[in-house]
Amino acid sequence: MVQEKLRVSTRTLQWKCVESRIDSKRLYYGRFILSPLMKGQADTIGIAIRRILLGEIEGTCITCVKSEKIPHEYSTIIGIEESVHEIFMNLKEIVLKSNMYGIQDASISFKGPGYITAQDIILPPSVEIVDNRQHIANVTEPVHLCIELKIERNRGYRIKTLKNFQDGSYDIDARFMPVRNVNYSIHSYVNGNEKQEILFLEIWTNGSLTPKEALYEASQNLIELFIPFLHAEEDNFHLEKNQHKVTLPLFTFHDILVKDKLRKNQKEIALKSIFIDQLELPPRIYNCLKRSNIHTLLELLSNSQEDLLKFEHFHVEDGKSILDILKIQKYFA
Amino acid sequence: MLGSGNEEMSTLPGLNQIQLEGFCRFIDRGLTEGLFKFPKIEDTDQEIEFQLFAETYQLLEPLINEKDAVYESLTYSAELYVSTGLIWKSSRDIKKQTIFVGNIPLMNSLGTSIVNGIYRIVINQILQSPGIYYRSELDPNGISVYTGTIISDWGGRLELEIDKKARIWARVSRKQKISILILLSAMGSNLSEILENVCYPEIFVSFLNDKDKKKIGSKENAILEFYRQFACVGGDPVFSESLWKELQKKFFQQRCELGRIGRRNMNQKLNLDIPQNNTFLLPRDILTAASHLIGMKFGMALLDDINHLKNKRIRSVADLLQDQFGLALVRLENMVRGTICGAIRHKLIPTPQNLVTSTPLTTTYESFFGLHPLSQVLDQTNPLTEIVHGRKLSYLGPGGLTGRTASFRIRDIHPSHYGRICPIDTSEGINVGLIGSLAIHARIGIWGAIESPFFEISERSKRIRMLYLSPSIDEYYMVATGNSLALTRDIQEEQIVPARYRQEFLTIAWEQVHLRSIYPFQYFSIGASLIPFIEHNDANRALMSSNMQRQAVPLSQSEKCIVGTGLECQVALDSGVSAIADHEGNIVYTDTDRIFLFVNGDTLSIPLTIYQRSNKNTCMHQKPQVHRGKFIKKGQILADGAATVGGELALGKNVLVAYMPWEGYNSEDAVLISERLVYEDIFTSFHIRKYEIQTHMTSYGSERITNKIPHLEANLLRNLDKNGIVILGSWVETGDVLVGKLTPQMAKESSYSPEDRLLRAILGIQVSTSKETCLKLPIGGRGRVIDVRWIQKKGGSSYNPETIRISILQKREIKVGDKVAGRHGNKGIVSKILSRQDMPYLQDGEPVDMVFNPLGVPSRMNVGQIFECSLGLSGGMLDKHYRITPFDERYEQEASRKLVFSELYEASKKTSNPWIFEPEYPGKSKIFDGRTGNSFKQPAIMGKTYILKLIHQVDDKIHGRSSGHYALVTQQPLRGRAKQGGQRVGEMEVWALEGFGVAHILQEMLTYKSDHIKTRQEVLGTTIIGGTIPKPTDAPESFRLLVRELRSLAMELNHFLVSEKNFRIHRKEA
Repeated sequence: MVQEKLRVSTRTLQWKCVESRIDSKRLYYGRFILSPLMKGQADTIGIAIRRILLGEIEGTCITCVKSEKIPHEYSTIIGIEESVHEIFMNLKEIVLKSNMYGIQDASISFKGPGYITAQDIILPPSVEIVDNRQHIANVTEPVHLCIELKIERNRGYRIKTLKNFQDGSYDIDARFMPVRNVNYSIHSYVNGNEKQEILFLEIWTNGSLTPKEALYEASQNLIELFIPFLHAEEDNFHLEKNQHKVTLPLFTFHDILVKDKLRKNQKEIALKSIFIDQLELPPRIYNCLKRSNIHTLLELLSNSQEDLLKFEHFHVEDGKSILDILKIQKYFA
Repeated sequence: MLGSGNEEMSTLPGLNQIQLEGFCRFIDRGLTEGLFKFPKIEDTDQEIEFQLFAETYQLLEPLINEKDAVYESLTYSAELYVSTGLIWKSSRDIKKQTIFVGNIPLMNSLGTSIVNGIYRIVINQILQSPGIYYRSELDPNGISVYTGTIISDWGGRLELEIDKKARIWARVSRKQKISILILLSAMGSNLSEILENVCYPEIFVSFLNDKDKKKIGSKENAILEFYRQFACVGGDPVFSESLWKELQKKFFQQRCELGRIGRRNMNQKLNLDIPQNNTFLLPRDILTAASHLIGMKFGMALLDDINHLKNKRIRSVADLLQDQFGLALVRLENMVRGTICGAIRHKLIPTPQNLVTSTPLTTTYESFFGLHPLSQVLDQTNPLTEIVHGRKLSYLGPGGLTGRTASFRIRDIHPSHYGRICPIDTSEGINVGLIGSLAIHARIGIWGAIESPFFEISERSKRIRMLYLSPSIDEYYMVATGNSLALTRDIQEEQIVPARYRQEFLTIAWEQVHLRSIYPFQYFSIGASLIPFIEHNDANRALMSSNMQRQAVPLSQSEKCIVGTGLECQVALDSGVSAIADHEGNIVYTDTDRIFLFVNGDTLSIPLTIYQRSNKNTCMHQKPQVHRGKFIKKGQILADGAATVGGELALGKNVLVAYMPWEGYNSEDAVLISERLVYEDIFTSFHIRKYEIQTHMTSYGSERITNKIPHLEANLLRNLDKNGIVILGSWVETGDVLVGKLTPQMAKESSYSPEDRLLRAILGIQVSTSKETCLKLPIGGRGRVIDVRWIQKKGGSSYNPETIRISILQKREIKVGDKVAGRHGNKGIVSKILSRQDMPYLQDGEPVDMVFNPLGVPSRMNVGQIFECSLGLSGGMLDKHYRITPFDERYEQEASRKLVFSELYEASKKTSNPWIFEPEYPGKSKIFDGRTGNSFKQPAIMGKTYILKLIHQVDDKIHGRSSGHYALVTQQPLRGRAKQGGQRVGEMEVWALEGFGVAHILQEMLTYKSDHIKTRQEVLGTTIIGGTIPKPTDAPESFRLLVRELRSLAMELNHFLVSEKNFRIHRKEA
């Protein structure tokens, strides 16, 4: 058995790009294989990589538009065939390629008449346009159109309706998803007397990155997710320390509690599950605590009296009355 | 359409033709007819005579166009001018003047009218046709009694009845019946005349007794007797002129006016030849009707089927408008008569100009369009809705039935409905069967009958003629129902075809057929004929579908359906939402809001609709589809409107669906959707709401519009400009002020509550002299302000009331709780939105967009959705669009299935995707779980279906209440979302609370959340001051009810006080 294992581990896993095709500037296709895999491994890798590719690959998008000429999204600009909303929709569709961080600015400055296409966007050096011919608007009159854009790199999608109208900027719903579709299939075969599998992976992207790059990024993402397990022990230690910090006895009447160290943990769980709603505090104190985001008894106890006094409308007597109530209700046996 | 030769091609009639024809009939004929009825008016001394010269009437073209009328909230109407004359009889002097009689609202090309800026439509009514109908009923003893009911033009009834002793009665009111002889004498015929004109005089003589003889001796006696029975008065009234007049008015005019249709029906039914212009019931009619009744008793005539369409008539817009016109002229007549008399009395010389005012006609039409139940606000949810609304036929309304009382028989489908009224398209609920829809090819004939077209098959000529037949005629022909014959015309001699004859289905030889139907969709309404594979759906689901398609919201980006029926084009065209070139020419210039067309030397400007609100708050928007420099033909589409693409109706989107259960998220008609539908704006729609506020004059001065509202926080006022009106283009949220308005008020200390006064004293706030009455954005109203209008109306002397109207556009993505539906009555609510990697995916890795529950299919019997789904898949793969006429099964067995499978096979071949068509389970495919990558156990049906998003959206419905207003009388929370109402805790809910023993909630619901006024106020007090909420001491009414309920379960709940001293029990009433 030991020998068998060794044999497998010596054989290196290999991947190969079987097919690669550019259907259009905004549709790339790539097919990869990974082999040899042991029975079941293909499935593990396949689904994980598919989910990462679909969900977590970063993309670049125009997220914000600013122009003085636009009264609002549903208005029209004289001399332009599209309505403002349609222009926004076209901007949303534009595919960008970048390796930037944060938010960057871009702009369009166009003098009509003519078609505004993606190549009219003046971009920062780190951003490129994938398809220059993507349509934005059709200007039919000699109008000067000046639009400022914001470009962002992110993952997933975002639908925002912000209220920052006053400065004339509008958020566009952003869709940062460079991967269009992913599929995987598994072929098993018998090598000698054991079953082995080949993983076929098909990736379609929108052109802002090649399927190969997407695969690379996805693998990196996936690896990053597993890294914490490699340092498993340290992390656990870290967690313990954290917990300790939370329970540092700061509150004066916490001392009563700390006496018995054995009972501490049990007690803590109990304290965590007691909400201050159950204490029948006077409404004013209750509201005051609630406003300061104190919901459980544990949270209450981890604050010192001085801390409490810093809250709005919290008086010295209140501290006492809380203590009284706690005593009456026998939370401190 | 019909093989070789260009034999009379048949096209669909214009879908709003029914409305337009009606209105044209009114303008062409109704107006003149009404004006000719206007009598010459004389004053009391008969010195002056006033008359209208009906033939000289003129209608002026309206000064404003339709769009302006809508925008300015005006009525789109034409002014009616008639020349009038005033004749002095003594001097033979004529004074002629052309005067303005009033405004008549016009109909636009879509069959709607614009009244006060709102599109309205007048629905056609189905009424019992005036005439006589024979029925037989069983009396309590089981003997059949024959009755003949005479229905007048106004809906009044007069019944003739023959009983077992062969006596003939006339039933004049519900209870009283009188001998027919008395009725006839009262109408002015004597006994000998009666006996001469009757077929069976011996029967009449036989039941004539001495008492009756005396009564019918003279006309006066008969009238007196008749009046006594009719009005149900006892004693002995004396004959007088006024009595006769009352009887005339109440009986002879209401119940005996047959009208032209009634006269025609009477003549046909009773074989009479009374001239057409004699529109009243004559003694001869009654005599013949009585003879007929006797014949019926002897079994010599047929009974009438009252639900047959030949016994119904359509009261169209023309008739309704004409009735109103008549009414207005009567009012005008009375007014003129009054003014003439007044003028003479005051020795003034009247002119026609000051005798006639425009008020009667204008107000009559205004109140007709505003108040009449058949004049309705046009339902503008989508283009289909607009078209369908005008084609409705209603049994309801004045002179008709009511939803609560109508019998089952009348709601049912009748064989005579074939090709006239759609058997499936009707409303659900209380009005089921009472509101129908006109079949697509049907039209309305001159006598108010619905006519359906047929092809005539004749041996003599090869020409095929199209006939429109009314329901009374087509019964006598053999009508071949299928038109499979069209395919194999050469060997038709040997064929046996299914046919319709006299409400029966027969199978007869081809030679015997007289007529055949023209089109498979002939029997259906528009809504039903937009359903592909309708023949595979249960009628109930088809009904739901035709209703739900009308509720589909136009989406921001529409898409044509892959599988359709071919009628989409006609609907979009006739709905008028897309801009169509009236002339051929060159496009000079296009802009977002207009297109300039160069036609024969001049430039036409065609304005486009830009983000306009419809009556249902959906968005109407036109997108130009042509470019500069292009040559345009007449009838070409210039711009697509809402929910149309390329001139075809496009209500929804083609989405990839799978039929499989998914973690229970699609049980009980819930639908699971992918977030792709959200971020790709697949089901995103626009909704525009209108908010209005007016300034009024109060006793302390006029209200002011300002941006300085001291009562409110600055944050709420951030969107106001310096005038106090919201800035165009600003984003507003719930609670924001749209218009700042202050109402002046008496500055009074005592008007504030004590704590308020104290606060004011401490903080030194001045007593305000005004109250804020701002227009605030109600709950759920967030959006972008796209229009602000300030309308100043010229009011009274010094004060001009102002109206401010604000339109707010809202963009709504699909979300959990929205209703979606297919076109087969398969509806559901979105229950969860999954990310695309979690959705189940097909064998090519493509995630599904929607997951329906397969259990929703078998019990609902709407298999059409499965066909559509599979065919949609192949259409999507091959980039093909299918337009399918229904009932293809008559060409071949299982034709639909064969078509779908062959297309799937082709798609699978052409795209080399073997999984699209797998012979072991055709149409189904293995589907994988996006979360685990495992395939689901069973292959499932997947494909592309056309899905609509309906107007029932959570944003309009979601609502909660913690506290709020209470009804004044019952002291229970108000009802409805608009009033911040509460959810009713009814009997069953209380039982549930009792059953689970949730005492505190129950106590809360029955006391301070309900009618326990005192505790409710105490709760309010304690929440302000602080402290614990007091326990109520006494029981409210709702609690008493609970106690009574427990008692009825034999459980006594009581309140006892036991004395400590002597253990005596004191009972307290609970």
